[in-house]
Amino acid sequence: MAEKKKLSKKTLAKSFRNWSYGNLTCFSQEHMQTFGYLCAMLPIVEELYDTPEEQKQALQTYSAFFNTEPQIGTMIVGVTAGLEEARANGEAIDDDAINGIRAGLMGPLAGLGDSLIVGTLIPILLGIALGLSTGGSPLGAIFYIVVWNLLMFLGMRFAYNQGYELGGKAVEALVGPKAKALRDSIVMVGTMVIGAVGATWVSITCSPNLVLPGGGKFQDTLDGIYPHLLPMVFIIFCWYMMTKKKVNPIVMMLILVVIAFVGVLIGFFDPALSY
Amino acid sequence: MAINAFQAALFGLFACLASLPGMGGTTIGNYTLGRPLVAGLIVGIIMGDMQTGILVGAAIQVVYIALVTPGGTVSADVRAVSYIGIPLAILAIKNSGIDPASAEAAGMAASLGAAVGTLGTVLFYGTATINLVWQGMGWKWLEKGDLHKLYLVNNVLPWIGHIVCSFLPTFIITMGGTAMVDLMKTYMPMDGIAMKTLFTVGSLLPTVGIAILLKQVISKPTDFLTFFFGFTLSAVMGCNLIAAAGIGCFFALINYEIASLKIDLANAPKAAIASGSDDEEEEDI
Repeated sequence: MAEKKKLSKKTLAKSFRNWSYGNLTCFSQEHMQTFGYLCAMLPIVEELYDTPEEQKQALQTYSAFFNTEPQIGTMIVGVTAGLEEARANGEAIDDDAINGIRAGLMGPLAGLGDSLIVGTLIPILLGIALGLSTGGSPLGAIFYIVVWNLLMFLGMRFAYNQGYELGGKAVEALVGPKAKALRDSIVMVGTMVIGAVGATWVSITCSPNLVLPGGGKFQDTLDGIYPHLLPMVFIIFCWYMMTKKKVNPIVMMLILVVIAFVGVLIGFFDPALSY
Repeated sequence: MAINAFQAALFGLFACLASLPGMGGTTIGNYTLGRPLVAGLIVGIIMGDMQTGILVGAAIQVVYIALVTPGGTVSADVRAVSYIGIPLAILAIKNSGIDPASAEAAGMAASLGAAVGTLGTVLFYGTATINLVWQGMGWKWLEKGDLHKLYLVNNVLPWIGHIVCSFLPTFIITMGGTAMVDLMKTYMPMDGIAMKTLFTVGSLLPTVGIAILLKQVISKPTDFLTFFFGFTLSAVMGCNLIAAAGIGCFFALINYEIASLKIDLANAPKAAIASGSDDEEEEDI
């Protein structure tokens, strides 16, 4: 029997590089990340199979539609690298099995990645970076560039290797009960930071000319009820419209334009500016 | 202040790299160069006023702090926001003499950025549609077994689409920026309804970005308390974001300990003692 085929470190690194750079470069609404995936698998099939015909056949497995959250989805590429290696060693894994696994993983990991990475990690990093940018300091942007890229490089490489070595078990670790507890806790930090971002970075005030009958400024009254009351009210309003009324973000922005226009007309809003 | 051809070309190049789908890749391109705060630094350096660049970038960043693109649907285009919106906003602020650090400048930046970003979604669909051509060629090459041509499809040919949909629009619009801003100044005086509305919209827009995030993280009504807690930390107690994140981590730790204790207790009868988890040994009964 022939010697057991094993993917070299170099090939795995190349596959990882191809994915982490090219996952969305040739994106289209029809095939989304499929071509990025093909490029990530190309070094793998080239090493595992000798004849061009075999290589082509193996690669065609991955021409099925693929789309997920690209950072966390790196794990799926790792898993299929492991599967392809097993298949090249004669294990009974057919195209349907591989694509079944891919299709089964891409949905849950997309949901996970969208809420953890795009919904929590990036806002936390950007929130901290915004705090460091006060007065136009470049520190915040530099902080974000360094921390985000470092985290993603290490995290994605870890995800790829975990996927390759552990196969399906790696994904188990992301969606098991303990992982859910951890995820919920991270989202909790995210929710608090979003609250702090809302209070720090949204500044909505009513017109300074708006005076109550007693003589006090209306804005002071609002601040007396709760500091930053107007930003809070508008955030909840937008959330309500988009979540409960299913208004999309562009329409939501247009609604705010109308509110601003009407508010300026009746004198509630007045930025009090001049050139 | 004006933008010369060299500067406009640089903006065009960064637009190619930072788009979604862009030539800088997702991590470095879209999620780094495409973030308005980072773009503010880059555009500021290119235009020779880093400080204003950062202030403008930060103001626009708040609107787009959570730009989630589920299933490839976009509500704003990052290349347009970052490399068309920010240069125009800097011009507008400098040429109208507002203090770049003021709330008015932030409002102007946010509304200009959002307007450009929304119009820019057409660039996103343009790029994705042109990519279909390269993908069509890719399928033929795959069929023929010409596998290395796939690298061409994925990494090289999309540049052509970007020259059309990213480089040229950015170059042309930012080159004409000064004229546009001058027109605005003449026809839209600051005390007119249009400008007042523009600035007010700018101050309202960040709430949409924050609400999009909330939509992601709130799954039950009590989650609002968590949000409200974070808001209060900042609004009433004056915590900055790092402090708020630190306090958040502490509560998250407690939450995690309680949640994993619950899991261990639920598993205890079945798994007996053998599979007890490592961090909760003492509490196991």
